[in-house]
Amino acid sequence: MKKISFVEVVERLNEFWGKNGCVIVQPLDTEVGAGTFHPATFFKSLGPDSWRAAYVQPSRRPTDGRYADNPLRMQFYYQYQVLVKPSPRDIKNIYLDSLKYLGIDTRSHEVRFVEDDWESPTLGASGLGWEVWLDSLEITQFTYFQQIGGRELDKISCEITYGLERICMFIQDRSNVFELEWQNGVKYKDLHKEQEIEYSRYNFDEADIGMHFKLFESFEKEAKTLLDKKLIYPAYSFTLKASHAFNVLDARGAVSQSERPRYIGRIRSLAKRCAELYIEKP
Amino acid sequence: MKYRDFLLEINTEELPASYVKDARAPLEADFRKELSLSGIQLDKSIEGFAQTLATKNSLVVYIKGLAVKQDSSEEEIIGPPKRIAFDKDGNPTKPAIGFAKKLGVEVKDLKIKSTSKGEYIVVKKIKEARDTKDLLKEITPAVIKDIPFPKTMKWDDSGLRFARPIESILALFGKENIKIELGNVPQKKINPIAPGKYLKQLGEMVDCEVRKKKIKGLISSALKKLRADQCVNENLLDEVNFMVNSPEVFIGEFDKKFLDVPDDVLKASMSKHQRIFPVSRNGRLVNRFIAVIDGKKRKNNKVKRNYERILEAKLKDSLFFFNEDTKKQLSENVSQLKDLIFHKDLGSMFEKIERLKKLCSFICDKIGEGSLKNDCVRAAELSKADLVTHMVGEFPSLQGVMGGEYARCSGESKEIATAIKEHYLPQGAGDDLPKTKAGAILAISDKIDNVVGFSGMGGNWNQVKISGSLDPFGTRRNAFGIIKIIKDKSFRLNLDELIKKGIELYGTKIKWDTVKFKNQIINYIKDRIDFLMGDIKPPELKKAVLESGSFDIADIFKRQEALAEIKNKTYFLEAAKVVERTSNILKGAKNEKIGSVNEKLFKEDLERKVWGVYLNSKDKILSLINQGQYKDATEEYARAFYAVLHDFFDKVLVNAEDPTLRLNRLSMMRAVNLLYTERVADLARLPQIVVK
Repeated sequence: MKKISFVEVVERLNEFWGKNGCVIVQPLDTEVGAGTFHPATFFKSLGPDSWRAAYVQPSRRPTDGRYADNPLRMQFYYQYQVLVKPSPRDIKNIYLDSLKYLGIDTRSHEVRFVEDDWESPTLGASGLGWEVWLDSLEITQFTYFQQIGGRELDKISCEITYGLERICMFIQDRSNVFELEWQNGVKYKDLHKEQEIEYSRYNFDEADIGMHFKLFESFEKEAKTLLDKKLIYPAYSFTLKASHAFNVLDARGAVSQSERPRYIGRIRSLAKRCAELYIEKP
Repeated sequence: MKYRDFLLEINTEELPASYVKDARAPLEADFRKELSLSGIQLDKSIEGFAQTLATKNSLVVYIKGLAVKQDSSEEEIIGPPKRIAFDKDGNPTKPAIGFAKKLGVEVKDLKIKSTSKGEYIVVKKIKEARDTKDLLKEITPAVIKDIPFPKTMKWDDSGLRFARPIESILALFGKENIKIELGNVPQKKINPIAPGKYLKQLGEMVDCEVRKKKIKGLISSALKKLRADQCVNENLLDEVNFMVNSPEVFIGEFDKKFLDVPDDVLKASMSKHQRIFPVSRNGRLVNRFIAVIDGKKRKNNKVKRNYERILEAKLKDSLFFFNEDTKKQLSENVSQLKDLIFHKDLGSMFEKIERLKKLCSFICDKIGEGSLKNDCVRAAELSKADLVTHMVGEFPSLQGVMGGEYARCSGESKEIATAIKEHYLPQGAGDDLPKTKAGAILAISDKIDNVVGFSGMGGNWNQVKISGSLDPFGTRRNAFGIIKIIKDKSFRLNLDELIKKGIELYGTKIKWDTVKFKNQIINYIKDRIDFLMGDIKPPELKKAVLESGSFDIADIFKRQEALAEIKNKTYFLEAAKVVERTSNILKGAKNEKIGSVNEKLFKEDLERKVWGVYLNSKDKILSLINQGQYKDATEEYARAFYAVLHDFFDKVLVNAEDPTLRLNRLSMMRAVNLLYTERVADLARLPQIVVK
């Protein structure tokens, strides 16, 4: 297997999915937990129109921080997101071809599709599908969307979410994410290690709890105001900001078990209204 | 009759292991039902109806010897009423002629049939036998759609739902490949081939039973090579069986330092994150694992190294959780339970542990284990504290296990830690029971609290739907758990009182009539006891025992076992006869005011004799019963009463005209009856008792 850099992995995926009819879009500039939150997935998976897109989405999951001490878990990482609507009959094989395109020999390594019913309670989204394991490492989430923004879908999208770091670790034969080659001799750790340590401290120990509760309220209020004015995209943007504020509070241990579902429910109802407005829009 | 074999192959994207496992039986049963409803005969010279095979990507049904045509059958078509179809003189009217014409028969072929609505004319026609091939085209899509899966999905515009997308369908009837219309699913195209031959081509690994055996064998020899304990996690095995098609195994290794993580955590991490098998020697984990992979080609060093690396990364994370969780005392988590909902109608986990403390203390008093009270109450206090730890958040299945581990780390006594660890046991039908008494007491408390709470919250027992695999609140599992633990520990515990206590502790959260609700639960638990007693002949013996005495489970089993052993002995039958006859006479006297026996009212010698026997043997029988000597008590009862009562019934009229005489005699019969039935078994429930 040829050891290609992190940047080259992204380039090859862009190439591959571009050839398969996807439009390559750029990351969303708001803090999100996954590529699903990008409007190119959340909104575009709604309604009857066909759509194919692929993009890198930097993702933040404050509770997953490990002070750069774990070789697999981080609070900041990159997803490569593909959304294909409607899902073509041979989408699974196309996905397997994409692995080969990255130089992965799927005959001498093991690709396993393990049941995993995906759900994003904050987005009112769910789907059925798998985690894809490569020699027992989860490298991709493969999902047939059934519901988005609380709406049952008629036209089914297939969402393929690659964990870029994990695929690179495999390709570059590294057991630690920070040792990956980013490009031209620069390593992943050169770009991300300090950040990872500092953000772990911030999320777990330092984030101002009072301020984040206030932020949550303000973001929610703004989203509601904007929804009333039918400004879908700005309203959605504030929904995502509220969601991130909640995630920080969660990592900080500031949300009790019984309050948790209520906060998630508040974000979900915003997301649902965004989806409704999007569908109704002429 | 000509017969042909039928084979259906549903090819899918990877099916969840548990789905496939549970789909096989209903799929086969549904085919059997539909074929028989359609009147398609099976070749009786062939043994076995069908074979259902399954892999992660396919479900295959192979049915041998189906008749090529369905049975011809007679069909009855009902026309107008007779009074309209024929005039007064018996001549056919226009409606009758029209009816005959429509069906293409002569008027003389019309028959009269009397129905509940009166007489009608009917036509009997032979329904033409249809080709099985055409019927299969109709049956098969319906059968496929009816396979019960926990969840189904859509994947294309047809709106068809299945567990996972269906890639193609092959249906061979004889050598003919018939097209099954189902959503947009394409037909699998192959060259003409007989179903049996096709099945052979698929190879034996398509049979999940054969595959499972092979995997088990491979693991077993790997364990042997490692000189390790021969034990395989069956659930994991079932899962892995539907992840690989050509199983191979390899042995992997990990850094010894991770053995510091508790065994249960290591096991959970291995089986959940990588579906690999932990290895233990003399009951302790060692730094090895066994992985099952798909295909020889993948059995190489690179794959092995990847598995090992990933395991170490995951274990590192488990170690992180463990260290985070043990930074504080387990008891520090207890106040957080106020925010953790047990159930929205039943309050918080904190409220639950308050109830558990009281239940534990109640049980300790009742069973005379006062010395365990402090430990049990402390264990109850901490029993749910692990629910808010990182580790249980990551591995919910480790609830209780982690509680015990963290209790130990927090310096709690071994007794308390073990009780916490054991209190969720047994988790399923074949699972271990709590070993320690304190664990058993906490487990019973927790389960009673669950059963009472979940079945009481709706205000209506019927809302708790428990049937087949449906047991949403674990009511059945909990009920079985309670019974098994009490039996195992021989706790002399009156469940009636315990359930009442359980209901009381919920206060206003349960708005039922306490007595009615309590009886519902008791009946539910009695049914489970009946089930656990297994097949006993006569089956009425179980009810006879269950309906007598206090609701003391350990004692119920003891009585049932004793009586089952002596049920063919003459003295048992004699005792049963005594109970039967006294009971029969009392049945006819339901409205009489039966009281106590007045010796002054005795008129006959036989009356005095029976009463004398009663007074003489009563203490001895009761003392045998109290000692749990049920065989001896039965023998003594029969010896005392059988002969004398025989005489008594022969010569004395119990239902005498004189009411005082009658009542006194009935009272005596009741005393004799209750002496046995109140505390041992109501043998009058047995079928016809014949003493040889």
